[in-house]
Amino acid sequence: MFSRDRTLVWLAGFLGVVVCAFAVWQEMNPGYRRYQREFRRLIEERFGPERAALTPAGVQQIWIRSANRVDRCTSCHLGVTWEGLENADLPYRTHSKKPLEHHPIERFGCTYCHGGQGYATKLPDAHGWVKDWEEPLLDTTLAKDYRVREKWAFVEMNCNVCHRFEREIDGAGIVNLGKKLIREKGCRACHIINGRGGTIGPDLTWEGDKNPEQYDYTRITTLPTLLAWQIGHLQSPKSFSPDTVMPDFGFKSHEAMAIALVLMSWRKVDIPVDLLPGVVRKDVPTPEELERERTMREGEGKFFVEKTCFICHDVSSLGIVSATKIGPNLALAVEDAPRRFGRTLDSFLMNPTGTMQVVLSKQIQLTDEEKREAIRLLKLAYRKYKEQQSAAENKP
Amino acid sequence: MAVSPLNQIRRGLRQLPSWEDITWTWKPRSEREAGDAVVRNFLLHWFPSKITRRAMESSYSLWLGTISAVLFLILTLTGVVLMFLYVPSVERAYGSIKDLEYAISYGRFLRATHRIAAHLMVAVVFLHMMRVFLTGAFKNGVLARQNRPLNWWIGMVMLLATLLLSFTGYLLPWDQLAYWAITVGTNIARAVPLIGDGIRFFLLGGHEINQNTLIRFYVLHCIFLPLGLGALFVWHMWRIHKDGGLACHDRVALDQKAAPAPPASTKTYTLLGITAGRTAHVETALIDEERHLVNAAPLLLRRLLVVILLTFLVSAALAMLVGAPLEAPANPDVTPNPAKAPWYFLWLQELVTITTIRIGGWTLNGAFVGGVLIPGLLLLWGLAVPWLDASGPTAVGTWFPPSRRRANTIFLIVCLALILLTIIGTFMRGPYWQFYWPWERWPAAPPRF
Repeated sequence: MFSRDRTLVWLAGFLGVVVCAFAVWQEMNPGYRRYQREFRRLIEERFGPERAALTPAGVQQIWIRSANRVDRCTSCHLGVTWEGLENADLPYRTHSKKPLEHHPIERFGCTYCHGGQGYATKLPDAHGWVKDWEEPLLDTTLAKDYRVREKWAFVEMNCNVCHRFEREIDGAGIVNLGKKLIREKGCRACHIINGRGGTIGPDLTWEGDKNPEQYDYTRITTLPTLLAWQIGHLQSPKSFSPDTVMPDFGFKSHEAMAIALVLMSWRKVDIPVDLLPGVVRKDVPTPEELERERTMREGEGKFFVEKTCFICHDVSSLGIVSATKIGPNLALAVEDAPRRFGRTLDSFLMNPTGTMQVVLSKQIQLTDEEKREAIRLLKLAYRKYKEQQSAAENKP
Repeated sequence: MAVSPLNQIRRGLRQLPSWEDITWTWKPRSEREAGDAVVRNFLLHWFPSKITRRAMESSYSLWLGTISAVLFLILTLTGVVLMFLYVPSVERAYGSIKDLEYAISYGRFLRATHRIAAHLMVAVVFLHMMRVFLTGAFKNGVLARQNRPLNWWIGMVMLLATLLLSFTGYLLPWDQLAYWAITVGTNIARAVPLIGDGIRFFLLGGHEINQNTLIRFYVLHCIFLPLGLGALFVWHMWRIHKDGGLACHDRVALDQKAAPAPPASTKTYTLLGITAGRTAHVETALIDEERHLVNAAPLLLRRLLVVILLTFLVSAALAMLVGAPLEAPANPDVTPNPAKAPWYFLWLQELVTITTIRIGGWTLNGAFVGGVLIPGLLLLWGLAVPWLDASGPTAVGTWFPPSRRRANTIFLIVCLALILLTIIGTFMRGPYWQFYWPWERWPAAPPRF
């Protein structure tokens, strides 16, 4: 009964030593060691043994004290701050100069701009290509996957996380295009962005933080990702949510990508103040923008915004501007209705035909009271239009 | 003749206790030495100097209690080291675990061993309770002054303490897994009538899981619960001593009584001899030493060493192979789908789901029925077990005795149901708590890019 015990002690003890030895072996051979060896060889080849002796060994990290953040990327990406490795292979290549002028690596680290997992010291983990890490490395393959011309489109997106209130970011072409489109198309008419805007659509201020799970991906045939959903939805809102009142702006795929990247960049990220010198930290609209938005929301024509008519129609004389201009300018409705339908405006609005019959029975349902209000306002708009016309003609 | 300093040192050294004095005799040459080995050594004095062969057989105890204790030891040792490395603050907790994973020497191994050993301990303690029930080891046998029901109660409290230890440890990494498991767990506690919200407030130290909760769980996890469990462990072991060893001792004694035994082993004194026909039996040694007992040193010690080594081996190997999970940082705005309690509470979560029944406008409150009522009744039943048992001393210390067939069957069904519910909750519940067979793939949550 006890004869086996001695053997078992030896066996279990031996296996325990094996497991411990394996743990020690793992500890002695971290993944970055290979890269550090190769880097030393590279430096020796190019600059001689003296400088090779200066190459670091062990875990390297950039600790951003105020942000409570650490980036260990430089354990393998050893050449980022070295001069003369501009043409070396990754991970030893020198970082391009321009972005570092205002963002020195030792102060900003890597992951604020590039994404990935700063804590990690193993390749797939560090690049965020593992389960349970939701910030992938924003490298050029991602741009390839989404067929964006700009190689660094996704890093540019991350510029906008900190620089979201700036009108233009130096060197971030695709993001600047997105910002411009968002201003020009008047997204604020329906959406709140940074605390200002209409409430017809959802608040977009923190759009990039929304849970990917709340969207329906059945329409997406390529990659079922939040970004793909945003791009597809921007290009064809109705096919993604049939009941939406958001119009199809006819965005080209590049434009949709640009806007989607800006939307994805609107995230809450804790950035300590000391890292943001000179960065605009508030959304400051120009007086013209403010006046235009005010006219849209509170001016005489606010009825047309509230009832979403403005999605397709300008009412130019009341300051209502449509982003899509799908339908005709309603400032001229009084004379347009008889010309197009052979009926007065009053009779047409009460009993519409054609496209407007569909729109007014399904998407925009008005009571008779509201229709009378619409007619009154349209007549006012026409009068104003005429006044503006004659004023313009009388100008010398 | 003057004594040289060297000789003085030599003489002094000779007076120091020898290695044999401070350790035990590993190869005793006599019965006396074997007994002394246990009695003289502080670490060993809580063992009996002799033990029945039956108690040494792994087919009786499966060594489950010992394994639990060894796991507790592993957890204490790794846990103390982890305390030097972990920072219990909302800002630093997650980062310090990531540091353990990637930057600290042996940090990953240390943390994985601690986690695996914790999971194993919950499982092994539960199995130990099953073993004690099925062998009727919670019952008093034939020896004097036994109080095994008390030890059963102590054991039940130890089981609860083990669960609480694991539960409080679950929050510490401050990742999504931790945050939402504790959310689910404490929301079940909320379903207790009248005081539910109070219990949750007390557990969380507020209305939401935050720094208050973290420090509360940390102090419970590192100080109060381990010390409490340690004290209970000492009491548990002491009671085993007082109850005359494992319950199979009683069994051996009974068997021996039934069989014709040499008379020398039992001494019978006649008290006064006046009262006709009545004698007081003082049975000093119930068990025939020659036939049933062996020396604890070195046989029990060696077997104990086997159990310790194997438990360490299994924990360390699993830690290497499986590792410990660490999800994205805790984010109160994003609920993972599905959000699950720790696995040993998934039978509860599963019960909550099953007992939430809607018929028309009427809803059965599953959180109360499945989360409070049923587990509460199970706990009461567990505590009442020693008093519900009507079988005699022949059912003590033996597997599946015929006289306890009904009790054992009911108990086994309940335990298997709990295990089955746990398995379903762990492996077969996907997004929106939908049922999936293990070979079916869950619909993946889409990534951002």
